[in-house]
This record gives sequence, structure tokens and C-alpha cells, in this order.
Amino acid sequence: MEEVKNNTGQSLGIAALITAIITFVLAVIPCVGLIAIIPGIIALVLATVGLSQASRNNSPRGVLIAGLIIAIIGSMISVSQIFVAGKIAQKADRWPNNIHNIIKDVQDNVTKEIEDANVSIKVESNGEKVEINTNSNKKDQEKTLENLEGGKTLKPDSIQKNDSIKKHVTIRKKK
Amino acid sequence: MLLFGRKSNNEQNREVRLRKEPYLIINIFFAGVILLIFAYSGIFSPVRDNYPVACIHEKLTGEPCISCGLSHSFSLIVRGRVDEAYQWNPYGMRIFLFFASQLVLRAAFSIFYLKYPDTRRQLIIVDCFGSGIIFLMAFWPFIANIGKGILFNM
Repeated sequence: MEEVKNNTGQSLGIAALITAIITFVLAVIPCVGLIAIIPGIIALVLATVGLSQASRNNSPRGVLIAGLIIAIIGSMISVSQIFVAGKIAQKADRWPNNIHNIIKDVQDNVTKEIEDANVSIKVESNGEKVEINTNSNKKDQEKTLENLEGGKTLKPDSIQKNDSIKKHVTIRKKK
Repeated sequence: MLLFGRKSNNEQNREVRLRKEPYLIINIFFAGVILLIFAYSGIFSPVRDNYPVACIHEKLTGEPCISCGLSHSFSLIVRGRVDEAYQWNPYGMRIFLFFASQLVLRAAFSIFYLKYPDTRRQLIIVDCFGSGIIFLMAFWPFIANIGKGILFNM
């Protein structure tokens, strides 16, 4: 007697293979890689159900097995995208600390540079000029501050309203 | 009346033939999917930036991933602005070519499959290997990126 083969599970096999290939392609793309787990699970379920039906009815299982294997690989790649995301997240976590250190270094360098420098500030407003000169000497700086508080400068409100005000700040190194 | 009530013999034969040929069904389905991808690239405009698919990777990590800008790149390639497409994503062109080649291959292999029934088995093997190699060539930067991600986390 000739063995009769039917096509039970064949439609499920085709559906599983198509879904599995779509899973595989999506899983490789990082932007949508994590979503690929959904069609991956669907493909796995279709292939498993199809295989159980096929084994019961002695029908061909080539397409079903291909679908199952591709679905497993695709799902694994999809899950592995979490590792890639994790790696970037770790790096991103370290970056703020690095930036903080760099800013601190720059601040220290600038403070060191200014310590040995003479600072001259010129303010011009409607022909009126105010010049402030300071150096690293703490006493001189205090004196300058006292002078400023004594009213040698314009009021802050009038400075903000006047558009013709020019400020010159020059930093000269002490030789 | 019968014409509308029942399917003709030719139609029934075609359906039975298609059901027996999973390879043809898969080819037709994939050709449709690729055409949908091209339609998606054509419908959504890079100027209006109205793409419905957002990068999950970027949302999770706050950092753009290697495949960010792929939709923009595809849209620009469809519109013939290849230089700009390279700026959005340097791998956009090779992936676009992969899908375009697959569309052509699905049609070509289906015709060969129907024309030369004796060589069907060999044809499917050639298709699997050929498509696999083209896939690896096109998606290699992404695959390498996943590999690096796994290795550095171990």
C-alpha cells in the first residue's frame, strides 16, 4: 500500500516561515529590533502548532522546521538588542561624570590664569567713562570694590536701559 | 448565474496549484511586503518628518542608534536625492538595494520555478544561499554592532 501524505499544518508552516523571516529582518535593525520579539513569538507558536499537527498526520515538516529555526534565531537576535541598548546606556551613564570633570579642570585652569593677571574693565555711556583696574592683590581688589560701591558707576537700571553702553574687559598677564 | 456563484475550473486549479506551492506563496507575500516598504518611503515625507515609527533604542537610551535615519534615507532615495540620503544614514543605500534586489529576485525566481519544474529543488537552494549572502552584505554593519554589544557586555 502506498503511504498517503496530506498537507496538514502546511498553511501554518507557510505563515510561520513568513513571520519568522520578517522577525529576522526586523531583529537585525536596532531601531525596531526589540519589537521583533512579538512576531518572533507568533512565529514560534505557529511553527510549534503546525509541527504537532504535522507529526500527528504524517505530513511534510520541512517548511515548519525552517520557520521554527529562523524564528528562534530571530527572537534571540531581538533579545540581544537589549545588550546593545545596555552598552550605550552604560556609556551614557559615564558621560556626565566625564563632562563634570572636564568643566572642573577648565575652571581650575582659568582661575590659575586669572590669579596672575591684571583685569581692566572700561564702561562707556553717553560720553561718560568708568575704568576699573584690578590685579591679583587682594587689598587692591577690595579697594576697587569699595570704589564701585561708593557710587562711581552708573546704576544698574540705567545701564540696562542705555543701548550705547560698551563694555571692554581685557585681561593682561603680569610680566 | 453559475459564473458568479461558483469559481471556474481554471480558478480552482490555480488555487490548488498555489496551495501546493508554498514557495510561490512566500514569494508573492514578500514581494508585497517590499512594495509596502517602498510605498511607506514614498508616502511619508522627509520634509514634514511625519514618520510613525520611532526609534525604540533612542527612547530607551537617549542615544541615536546605528539605524537611526533609515526611514529618512529611504524616502530620499525614492525621491532621487541620494547624497542627502547618505547624510541621514550611510547604510541606507545598501539596505534599500537589498530590498530592491529581493523584489526583482522574487519575481525572477517565481518565473523560473514555474517554467522549469525539474530544477525546483536546486532553485530553492540557490535562492536561500543567494538571499542569505545578500542579506549579510547589506546588514553587516548592524550585525557587527549587535556582536560588539554582546561581546562588550560579557
